[in-house]
Amino acid sequence: MNAFTYATAHSPASARQLVADKGAYLAGGNDLLGLLKEYLVSADILVNIKSLPGLDKIERGEKFWTIGSLVTVAQIEDHAEIKETFPGLHEAASEVASQQIRNVATVGGNLAQHSRCWYFRHRDTQCLKKDGDLCYALNGENRYHSLFTGNTCISPVVSSLATIFASLDATAIVLRDGQETRQNMAELYQRAWENPLAHNSLKNGDLILRVEIPTTRSRSAYLQVSDRHAFDWALVSCAAAADVVDGKLKSPRVALGSISPVPHQVETANRFLDGKVLDNATATQAADMILKDAKPLEHNAYKVPLAHALIRRTLLKLKGDA
Amino acid sequence: MKNSEPENLGAHSRRTFFKSLGTVAATAATAQVQSVAAELEKINTEKIVGPNAVPVTLRVNGEKLQLLLEPRVTLLDALRNYSSLTGAKEGCDRATCGACTVLLGDTPIYSCQKLAIESQGIEITTVEGLAKNEKLSKVQQAFLDKDALQCGYCTPGFVMSVTALLKKNPRPNADDVKHACAGNTCRCGTHPRILQAALRAAGVETASKTEVVDYV
Ligand SMILES: Cc1cc2nc3c(=O)[nH]c(=O)nc-3n(C[C@H](O)[C@H](O)[C@H](O)COP(=O)(O)OP(=O)(O)OC[C@H]3O[C@@H](n4cnc5c(N)ncnc54)[C@H](O)[C@@H]3O)c2cc1C
Ligand code: FES
Ligand code: FES
Repeated sequence: MNAFTYATAHSPASARQLVADKGAYLAGGNDLLGLLKEYLVSADILVNIKSLPGLDKIERGEKFWTIGSLVTVAQIEDHAEIKETFPGLHEAASEVASQQIRNVATVGGNLAQHSRCWYFRHRDTQCLKKDGDLCYALNGENRYHSLFTGNTCISPVVSSLATIFASLDATAIVLRDGQETRQNMAELYQRAWENPLAHNSLKNGDLILRVEIPTTRSRSAYLQVSDRHAFDWALVSCAAAADVVDGKLKSPRVALGSISPVPHQVETANRFLDGKVLDNATATQAADMILKDAKPLEHNAYKVPLAHALIRRTLLKLKGDA
Repeated sequence: MKNSEPENLGAHSRRTFFKSLGTVAATAATAQVQSVAAELEKINTEKIVGPNAVPVTLRVNGEKLQLLLEPRVTLLDALRNYSSLTGAKEGCDRATCGACTVLLGDTPIYSCQKLAIESQGIEITTVEGLAKNEKLSKVQQAFLDKDALQCGYCTPGFVMSVTALLKKNPRPNADDVKHACAGNTCRCGTHPRILQAALRAAGVETASKTEVVDYV
């Protein structure tokens, strides 16, 4: 790691001031220190944001719950009422990395973590995501890469929390230029869809303050499949959330991770599922719609049937059948 | 921001503040003293330090370690290379193998992916801190009894993970142990024995020595 200066911020405003143009916010440090050790990012100052007041709380509300950006993934996993109210969020949190990481990894850092593409992560590779002129994955080793992209970089979003938050239609509250802005998960990653250099839509100095989750969807579920049983990123992850009234889905949302630079959501499929009674045939139709435009590459075509099965299983889990 | 002189400012504010106290009731004064103190604390801690070495105080295994460290020094490095606590091991240095696991308070963390400077003010426990009066902890003893190691490089990390698990959940089942230890890797493949040792430390006996315990 290159040398840097260090400060602990006690208010979002001073955090912003301290981080200035060339600094980085330090939360759990799981991703940031790895990036610094590999010289993939440079920062002249690390601003420890873990002492920002009030951001380490989970607050219940009638219309929505608020999860502070400094809440750890372990706090979510261990929260008995989250398990009851947002079971999918509990499931997603408990699959994130390992106990040691969950204990320190924060919601803000998890959402803002950088690409895991092995070309991006290799310090000697100057790929598109590092302002080079080639996506090496496109014609290279792309087994972990995207089935969808809006640009020529095929590095997928890997945050498990982003996948489940998308299905719950959660909103991130981001402090930008002194103003609180609201971004749903599609918006929080939109820039990564368009711009190979971006990992998300955050601009330098933007600070995620909290995430709001509406309580409108009483059921949620999350499933991921990885190479390893535990302590591994998902090859594909899938989350679904809905309310169920008289056996019929209300406001259903399905989102997938690790197959696109953004949490992959298809509105026509959500609309198709609305008002339907879930059965195998409906779930299959929805999965067809969600994956219709997939563009598999040489080594990641397996992700199509995998995602298809996961969508069906996650939806049926929502129903309580699986 | 960089050039404010928090110490001087602090001394000055405190002095003028006490001077102006006058006849204000003692309770109100205490509250004010506290809020002024909090303000000063804030100014002091928001100070930018480094990149050169700065004093860092760690509390490790009940003892104070006063070190001079650059902000970029990891907790693992501080323990192993700036003091003589070599119990926590360096494997990957990238938060993936678990050899460097220590407890921060009661929670296991990877000391390789944590800066020493941000680990101040909270009790740190390394494997050296587990035995009391030359007597191994229950978990350490169980690892010996079950012969749960080969080369031993991963052992301190596993011992810390299991120790933390038993604090949180004194009667874990095999799945709980696997979940808690998923962030530790044993290159020698002693996982089945480690599982047995963890259960034994919890007082949950496993069947026989020859039992094949699935651990994947
Ligand atoms: C082997 C392994 C497996 C893993 N598996 C998974 C998995 O399955 N799913 C998953 O989701 N993750 C997985 N992870 C990644 C891990 O969960 C993330 O690294 C972690 O959540 C990052 O959080 P942090 O608080 O440590 O972030 P940090 O490292 O502190 O920060 C990460 C980035 O976010 C920025 N940042 C931090 N907080 C904020 C904020 N409030 N506002 C704006 N920017 C901010 C930082 O500046 C930095 O750029 C895995 C990691 C490993 C090593
Ligand atoms: S050395 Fe820290 S996890 Fe491997
Ligand atoms: S005993 Fe050798 S690595 Fe575990």
